[in-house]
Amino acid sequence: MFDELSLNILDIAMNSLAAGARKIQVAVIESVKHNWLILRIRDDGRGMDGSTLKRVLARNFTTKSSRNKPIGLGLALLRQSSEMCGGTFDIRSVQGRGTSITASMRLSHVDRPPLGDLNATILALCASNEAVDVQLHCRSDEGTFHFSSQEGRHHEPRRTQETQRQGATTSRAA
Amino acid sequence: MNLDELKKLKDKAQRQVALREGNKKYRVVFSMGTSGIAAGAREVMTTMLDELDKRGIDDVEVAVTGEIGLVDAEPVIRVEEATGEKVTYAKVTADGARKIVAEHLEKGKVVKGLAVGKVKEAEKKK
Repeated sequence: MFDELSLNILDIAMNSLAAGARKIQVAVIESVKHNWLILRIRDDGRGMDGSTLKRVLARNFTTKSSRNKPIGLGLALLRQSSEMCGGTFDIRSVQGRGTSITASMRLSHVDRPPLGDLNATILALCASNEAVDVQLHCRSDEGTFHFSSQEGRHHEPRRTQETQRQGATTSRAA
Repeated sequence: MNLDELKKLKDKAQRQVALREGNKKYRVVFSMGTSGIAAGAREVMTTMLDELDKRGIDDVEVAVTGEIGLVDAEPVIRVEEATGEKVTYAKVTADGARKIVAEHLEKGKVVKGLAVGKVKEAEKKK
């Protein structure tokens, strides 16, 4: 198992690169108030057909058919983390359109791995293939921000409508 | 992550893209499959990017590959020269990555203690 969830993100985004994605969107949604941490990795790669999608969560699934070592644990690892931490795991894919993976877990769960160095994950992804648009979208109780490797755009964190309504009683993100 | 960190991230990412344009003497391929990442490939890669940046080395291209079947030896990186010569380094740490930049990528000397494959064959012949 990975020590950091950001390593899970890197691992899964590497699959997106291998699937020929031109755009990889990573979303990290963290709410202390609602006690959820949600990770989503969405790409516009070649996607998977129905039968592949069914097998993809099996331990040791890999697209490399000639291997005899037990590899292909990536998705299974993230699913295990989410389910262990009171969350859910969802994978959707449309052939020719892309794949979307969403993992949720309880933020306060004692077994939840730390998010870790998300910076290093995004940097490694950007360096891996400069032609791919790597996007990071973070949302917390305090606001949102967005990063795109192609546009290089970023916005000032702004308060969401909900936190504005809650005013001073809003709990702070850890 | 705060806004300052994001700005730094953007600058860094753009520098990396700039680094990768033009003629390259070396291509460094990182094994970035599940086992590589679990063994610390991400830190090795970011350390190497930092070191290349620090030393102003701009003729190195960075690339990644998936699982290469050397699970026990991860993190594994392969340095490919424009001439076609390839050297594989195994169990690379952050310190090892700095060494590879200083010795191999800057001075063209293979780091013997870390290299596997090619160098071993060459030593056997001696």
